[in-house]
Amino acid sequence: MSDLAIEARELVKQFPARPGTGDKPKEEQPARKRGFRLFVKKEPKPMFTAVNGVDLEIQRGEIFGLLGPNGAGKSTTIRMLCTLLEPTSGTARVNGFDVVKQANEVRRNLGTLLAGERSIYWKLSGRENLEYFAALYHIPPAIAKKRVGELIERMELKERANELVEKYSTGMRQRVAIAKALLSRPPILLLDEPTLGLDPQAARNLRELIASLKSEGHTILLTTHYMEEADQLSDRIGIIDAGRVIALDTPAALKRRIDQKEVIRLELTGWHADLSDRLKNVDGIESVTTRQQGEADLWEVNMQAQNSRAALPRIVEALSGNGTRLVNMNIVKPSLEDVFIHLTGKALRD
Amino acid sequence: MSQLSVPSSLGRPGALGGLRATWAVIRREWTIFIRYPSWIISMFIWPIIFPLGYIFTARALSGVDGSGLATFQQNTGLTEYVGYMAVGTMIWMWQNIVLWQVGYALRNEQMRGTLESNWLSPTARFSYLFGASVPQLISVLMLMTVAGLEYALLFGVKFHGSLWLAALVMLAAVPSVYGLGFAFASVVITAKEANAFVFLARGIVMVFCGVTYPLAIQPQWMQDVAAWLPQTYVIHAMRSAALSTDGWAGIARDLGMLLLFGLFWLAAGYALFLWMERRARVTGAIGQY
Repeated sequence: MSDLAIEARELVKQFPARPGTGDKPKEEQPARKRGFRLFVKKEPKPMFTAVNGVDLEIQRGEIFGLLGPNGAGKSTTIRMLCTLLEPTSGTARVNGFDVVKQANEVRRNLGTLLAGERSIYWKLSGRENLEYFAALYHIPPAIAKKRVGELIERMELKERANELVEKYSTGMRQRVAIAKALLSRPPILLLDEPTLGLDPQAARNLRELIASLKSEGHTILLTTHYMEEADQLSDRIGIIDAGRVIALDTPAALKRRIDQKEVIRLELTGWHADLSDRLKNVDGIESVTTRQQGEADLWEVNMQAQNSRAALPRIVEALSGNGTRLVNMNIVKPSLEDVFIHLTGKALRD
Repeated sequence: MSQLSVPSSLGRPGALGGLRATWAVIRREWTIFIRYPSWIISMFIWPIIFPLGYIFTARALSGVDGSGLATFQQNTGLTEYVGYMAVGTMIWMWQNIVLWQVGYALRNEQMRGTLESNWLSPTARFSYLFGASVPQLISVLMLMTVAGLEYALLFGVKFHGSLWLAALVMLAAVPSVYGLGFAFASVVITAKEANAFVFLARGIVMVFCGVTYPLAIQPQWMQDVAAWLPQTYVIHAMRSAALSTDGWAGIARDLGMLLLFGLFWLAAGYALFLWMERRARVTGAIGQY
């Protein structure tokens, strides 16, 4: 038996570019005729490439994290793997089944979480939702009833299983959505941003659940915006940017790529855009990213440097005299997010 | 690459599994329908309010004492003008409800965010559209029954015809009325918005199909158009079945036409659905709001 649960080769997905959205036409697209065939010249139809030759090999029983900023192609990749989208070219197999030619078999082998809490019916109770989806997966009624009961118990929904989902918290709805994905006991799970919108406690509980699903033998493909989550859960991580997998390795190996670098982390108030250019011009600074801390005028600035000690005086100099007040400064070991910044030149939340 | 086995408890999507899945869609749709209390208004109040404007217009034209009814009788063969209006407007309401509810069934799922999670299961995708139509048909049958009782009790309408023949007309009308709904649903999921099409379609039915007046008073070109619309035959047959004593002879030709239209519209609705499903896989339209 092959060790691959998911395999993608040169996966490409293109969509017609929407006018006014900044979608770039792809020049090498085949020409398309418009109007009456005999009399009108061929005109290329502008296309936008969302996924541009993705190769993936996901081993059975591993958690594979797919990381990337918005629009990088994560969700499009997931949608092709779960048969909602047809690839423009390339092939993909899930548990050995081709996603185009054997789409129904692929769906039987997958538990998918897309759109989180919106993927279930708010006017049905948690139990009614699970019974409904069990029928869609052709689970015989007696087994469905038992399994729904088990999942309700496992997801700690027992007390409120018969209440309408509209009365649930976001975390409870997300747990119903995950229970839905587990109904058919699929060997492979696709979880698209499973902790998005959850409070820290609910997100932590969900991460524990995902880890326990792995220990039960499920293969999990996880997309997330949260680096810590990917770092904590994933056996391997693929970083996707502009439709391509630009790095793929274990979290530790990815971090080793920039081991010789250091990260200078500042907290300051009075940030303005000019400072970014000034800091980038400091000798030894390779990248600068910023993030506002909540709604207050408090900013976190991360800079990658070869030699932070040499750069520090010049950083302080660059910040002085601009109404900027330095609140905190640290030199930290590179995180996965720093790897991402190093590879893509932008923060994950961009 | 070989496969891991799916647990044996996960049934193959055979005929029984498909039927159970369709039944689950029907139950889900019905459960959600009755959890919005506004269904009581649409079931009991709307059918009595909607035709009133036409009925009072007819009363004004015929005279409160009915002295002007001779012309109406000459054109329709009926004296029961309240029943005549009620039947016409009920059939119009039925088509209108189908266009909105069946036509928007998938679109509403799409906007809620649940369409993709349904689409991810191994159930045949047409089941979702078909399943959503059944509770809607049940609610329309209830609405028709309630409307008939209300008109008999409040307006003294006498339904001289046969209940069974009326039921047969309903049955014969289902394929064309719902086939059109399936076609609409497939267009709406792609176009995202089809209010203008619904208004146009129901306007055509209202003007051409003799909802509140006999076809005979229309110019010939309008009658020619009406002959190509199945609702014309539904309305004519239902009036004949419910209000006249013509029996089978009064509806036989209409039923034949409805079966032909039904075949066409069911095939067209299904073909459009398959086209939409294929297109959505290429364009990603299912996940777009």
